[in-house]
Amino acid sequence: MRNWRHWKVAVTGINAHAENPGPGLAVARCLVEHREFRGSVLGLAYDALDAGLYDHDNCQSSYLIPYPSAGDEALLERIKVIHSLEGIDAVIPCLDSELQNFISLRSELADLGIQMLIPSRDQFNLRAKNHLVDLCSKIGVAVPRSKMLTDPGFFDRAAREGFEYPLVVKGVFYDAAIVYNAFEAKAAFSRLVGKWGYPCLVQEVVNGDELNLAGVGDGRGNLTGFVMMRKRAVTDKGKAWAGVTVVDEALHATASKLVRALAWRGPLEVEVIKGTDGKIYLIEINPRFPSWIYLSHAVDRNLPVAVLRMLAGEKDLQLTQHEPGTFFIRHARELIVNLKDFESVLVNGYCGGDAVDRSA
Amino acid sequence: MTDSLLAGALSQCSGDRLRQLAVSDTGFVFDPQTGQSFTVNATGRLVLDCLKRSDGLEEAAQCLAEDCDVPLELALSSVEAFLMQLGRYL
Amino acid sequence: MPENSSPKRPKLAWEPPFIQPHRVGEINKFGRHRPREARVASVFGVDVELLKKNYGSPLFVTSEERLRANVRRIKKAFAVRWGNTCHGWSYKTNYISAVCNILHQEGSLAEVVSAFEYEKARALGVPGEMIIFNGPNKGRAILERAVAEGAQIHLDHLDELNLVEAVAAAQGRKARVALRLNFDTGYSEPWSRFGFNLESGQARQAAKLAAASPHLQLCGLHSHLGTFILEPRAYGEQVKIMCKFMREIESSEDVQIDVIDIGGGLPSMNALQSIYLPPEQVVPSINEYAEVICGTLIEETRYRSHTNRGLPKLVFESGRAVVDDAQVLITSVVGTKRLPDGRAAAVLDAGTNLLFTAYWYNHKVETTGEARGALADTVLFGPLCMNIDVVRQSVQLPPLRAGDSLVVSPVGAYNNSQWMQFIEYRPNVVLVHEDGDVSVIRAAEDLSVMMAQDRLPEHLATPFAPVRGAGCNRFDAEAEKQAKTLRPFRICRG
Repeated sequence: MRNWRHWKVAVTGINAHAENPGPGLAVARCLVEHREFRGSVLGLAYDALDAGLYDHDNCQSSYLIPYPSAGDEALLERIKVIHSLEGIDAVIPCLDSELQNFISLRSELADLGIQMLIPSRDQFNLRAKNHLVDLCSKIGVAVPRSKMLTDPGFFDRAAREGFEYPLVVKGVFYDAAIVYNAFEAKAAFSRLVGKWGYPCLVQEVVNGDELNLAGVGDGRGNLTGFVMMRKRAVTDKGKAWAGVTVVDEALHATASKLVRALAWRGPLEVEVIKGTDGKIYLIEINPRFPSWIYLSHAVDRNLPVAVLRMLAGEKDLQLTQHEPGTFFIRHARELIVNLKDFESVLVNGYCGGDAVDRSA
Repeated sequence: MTDSLLAGALSQCSGDRLRQLAVSDTGFVFDPQTGQSFTVNATGRLVLDCLKRSDGLEEAAQCLAEDCDVPLELALSSVEAFLMQLGRYL
Repeated sequence: MPENSSPKRPKLAWEPPFIQPHRVGEINKFGRHRPREARVASVFGVDVELLKKNYGSPLFVTSEERLRANVRRIKKAFAVRWGNTCHGWSYKTNYISAVCNILHQEGSLAEVVSAFEYEKARALGVPGEMIIFNGPNKGRAILERAVAEGAQIHLDHLDELNLVEAVAAAQGRKARVALRLNFDTGYSEPWSRFGFNLESGQARQAAKLAAASPHLQLCGLHSHLGTFILEPRAYGEQVKIMCKFMREIESSEDVQIDVIDIGGGLPSMNALQSIYLPPEQVVPSINEYAEVICGTLIEETRYRSHTNRGLPKLVFESGRAVVDDAQVLITSVVGTKRLPDGRAAAVLDAGTNLLFTAYWYNHKVETTGEARGALADTVLFGPLCMNIDVVRQSVQLPPLRAGDSLVVSPVGAYNNSQWMQFIEYRPNVVLVHEDGDVSVIRAAEDLSVMMAQDRLPEHLATPFAPVRGAGCNRFDAEAEKQAKTLRPFRICRG
């Protein structure tokens, strides 16, 4: 096996919608800016307007891949083509909806020499929105009162079922809305279901501070590395706009408990609210790095690099303690794209710094 | 298709307007006037090339019929439909 | 024509010229990419073109081998975990006679939900005691037959309970009955319109009445969660609730419950339109369901070893999971067009008249010949003169031509029962036998089938016939004058 420092690492989720960026470009930045990493990052994109396709500073070359809904066979076939052109050493999947496909392909990709630090299907399912309540009640982690929904009629009888507005309505993979009455709730429900399918999750709103922990599980129950962040400002959609590293023992304890219970393997993000009563309420567990993961590089706890080192079999990562008080502010800036690159993405599904024909 | 509709479409995508389009071998088309990009299929590209050379509708259809080995009437009606489509987008 | 003249090879493959604008959010030529082998020349081992030639298009093709393998696999999953199990074949899923008898040969009971289905099961030779009679509408006449023949009747409401009791009393028999229950498992929306509600106490009241009646033998509990249930734990909760209720009524009433019937609802590998990921990613294996169901059953009936009561029989009524992938539909392209938005479209000889499930599922569509070009987003329309007759709103297919065959799958569940007779004849349904032979199991309809039930009153025996009697005088004079001018052939005598 090649030294991880020279790997070619494929990263997905390189979309960078200004209000809700995917984590892929942040993961790519973590890798290419790490002082020991000499390899390169390959972007895997789902749309010609995914910024990572054209961001050659971070993704040396990039390819379009099939939508998650096309299934694992289609994905495998496309990755085989890309692998034959590029030689991929590892993949870091960064989107929830694609993860099940990558889980199905783990052994096939391993046979090709492509490694991934990802959870098993069982682990993935247990932390899914519809299983989270069960999991938490088993291990004593508090969650806001929640219910899976397929029938919007619920919103009319919410009070009878013990739910009080405002409520949070969440799509099965992404996206959420805070609603203040049945009317808004039904509108949000049909929008989310229309986009992501059934079911939806409805959750009571808990007041308090939003804290997030990004970490990596080693698959044996240990939380190998982690960085904690408190959101200081959020966008209209509740996404982090500014945040700061913190050290919160209660959050760390909760995340460790979850990682132990799941024997989680791979990156994850634990989102909690620290209630005014000081209690930690788990909001959700995302099976991938968050889009603010660049903060981990900034505090010298580069978690994407930790993933590579774990895949390479390093046992003792010796991650430093991270200091609280490092801020980030998310901003948007325009990436310049020339027509040739855009055409190459449309026609060949490929974009790279070189002029090689990668049409497949 | 009525003649007046076709005439409208033709006038819109004839001559200079069509010559502005950047058409690459790959079927990628860019319209510098509107900033819109398109994909054109192989037969469409052939027709586009003919029209850009300021061939008329009939010549383009002739070209298409020969290259694809299809009846002229079929080629002609397809070219008319293609022109209507161009007229909508340009 | 001279023998040696080789056809001229065209420089370009024919395809109507078209140009398509790039739209934000859908610019990915690999987006709906499909693996290359999505092309089938044969179905269940038989050549598609040969089937079309022999039996016409469209054509439903059913596999005996697959059907038997499916039901064996599902039965085994339950039987190895809970000894005393039985499958009830849900007739409504597909009641083609050959399909029913294959499953009866595999030991499945008949699960019927109407007078028609009951009579059909009996006509096929299924004895009354092998029939589970479900459904919300059972008339007196059919109940009389069912009671006399010893069928197990699943009660849906109190009026039915009283009716069955009256029928059994009149015959001097004791009818075998089960209560259909509905309750909230917390996983799926409860189907509260069927059976007796548990939470409100209705079910308890019905059990009390049934137990007290000298003409009813309450032997079972039944419930049905819904359809395409993707969450095995929903069944666990269902079994738990049913067992709790069983224990409750057995301790308060003089009854012995021998049957726990968990209904159906197990999913197949079909793609529900409302679910984002493909079925291979979201449909759990049958073993996962069996594990939860039987595991819960073992747990919740453990107490019975301390009593003199035996363990109940587990009945499951899977329809979709048994038959869906055992049938495909062969259909032909009638014509192609290019829609104004640039998408390719094809008109097929089969639509939602034959594929009722196309309203909810994105069926797999495969071509049979060599691809003529790159895959493109294609809309598939059916033959009906209705705008909603769409087989697939969007599917990646190579350029199609009139006459091309497409194979749509899986279609075994609910199409041969819910298909509708609207402007078209229903086509042949064939069975590929285990030895590879093919035979028709439902013949294509023709005009005589369509008109068999029509009755023409004597005076309507011929069209355009003179209208006799004082008919004309019924209208006012002005209208009559108009009618005459409009229909010059209408002769008015009188």
